[in-house]
Amino acid sequence: MSGSAQHRSELDALLARVARKDVDAFTQFYDHTRARVYGLVTRVLRDPGYSEETTQDVYLHVWRNAERYNPAAGSALAWLLTLAHRRAIDRVRTEQAATRRESRYGAANTDPPTDVVADSAILGEERRRVAECLRTLTDAQRQCIELAYYDGLTYVQVSERLSANLATIKSRMRAALRGLRHCLGMT
Amino acid sequence: MTGPSDFELLELATAYALHAVSDTESADIERRVAAAPDAVAEAFYDEVRAVRETLAAVSATTQVEPPAVLRDRLLAAVAIHSERHFPWRAMLLASVAAVVIGLGALSAGLALRPAPPPSTAQQVFSAPDVRTASGAVPTGGTATVVYSHERNAGVLVMNNVAPPAPGTVYQMWLLGDKGPRSAGTMDAKAVAPSTTAVLPDLGNSNALAFTVEPGSGSAQPTGQMVAELPLS
Repeated sequence: MSGSAQHRSELDALLARVARKDVDAFTQFYDHTRARVYGLVTRVLRDPGYSEETTQDVYLHVWRNAERYNPAAGSALAWLLTLAHRRAIDRVRTEQAATRRESRYGAANTDPPTDVVADSAILGEERRRVAECLRTLTDAQRQCIELAYYDGLTYVQVSERLSANLATIKSRMRAALRGLRHCLGMT
Repeated sequence: MTGPSDFELLELATAYALHAVSDTESADIERRVAAAPDAVAEAFYDEVRAVRETLAAVSATTQVEPPAVLRDRLLAAVAIHSERHFPWRAMLLASVAAVVIGLGALSAGLALRPAPPPSTAQQVFSAPDVRTASGAVPTGGTATVVYSHERNAGVLVMNNVAPPAPGTVYQMWLLGDKGPRSAGTMDAKAVAPSTTAVLPDLGNSNALAFTVEPGSGSAQPTGQMVAELPLS
């Protein structure tokens, strides 16, 4: 990930400043990451209203708890997106318990993906490379990631949906992530 | 030593990192990892870390630009939680000081101190009729006002606004039926990369305007209009 290594350390440094309640650093952190967070949350929730609320909650959590970020445990971006995904999944599971998610309108009426202006060159290149790596997965592997990561199913639910046994699903998930990691040159 | 259940635990690391386990199972996995040999726990969290970094990279493919209003709301909310930035002078600080003195005198004679009342900013942000207006400042940067007529107050957030020229200040004006009413001034020292100010009394005003004024401000606007935000 040499292309975004500089970007990564920039985000880590910004988050350290956010922990000291630096509003300007928070603004920059938001501007560098907002499209990734909102995009992921929208992909999971498929509802602009819920996605806005969840994104707002995520960043307020960042503002209040940035000091909990531990650089030794991973990048600031991974910390942020893990939090965003967790919140989105919690919301999906709450909504699913109350109503059928399929009855809500889809992601079609959200804006098309766009780059954060300042990072467009790096991210355009990164997006292309990641998309290529996603294409190297088998259909079965991609489907597993799709159902679990984006649709919020547990691996047990994925195995029921696909009528496959649990061990198969678990090993497909592992293989999919390993394949991606290898393809992206992340060790 | 690792046993069959340790291998089973490591098999679950990917699903755990994907949040693809139920809350109950997730808590159970965490307990088992905590009780496992160090080498197993280390291998488990190495896998979790690697999966999360990979997914962070994958997020490049699902980017969607959020609505601009979300940024305004967040910056206003953060301004509310930030106690460092209240550089506007004039009657704003004077009225805050008066409230603080009043509360101090009241609580001095009481055994139990009352809980602090919610700040003006908190009241605005939680108001049912909260609105946001945002505009570019021609000299650079943006001004955003989050306001509520029900609460009769607003919070101004200025981002990356250039300081006023030496010998001048920015002055805020509430525009209404009875003409402009001064709502405070800001000098070069007060202009931070992100500056916030509370507007405690909107009255029937329908816009917030900014001018550049000589010295420490004017009774009526005389200078160049920098920006105007509607308070509809």
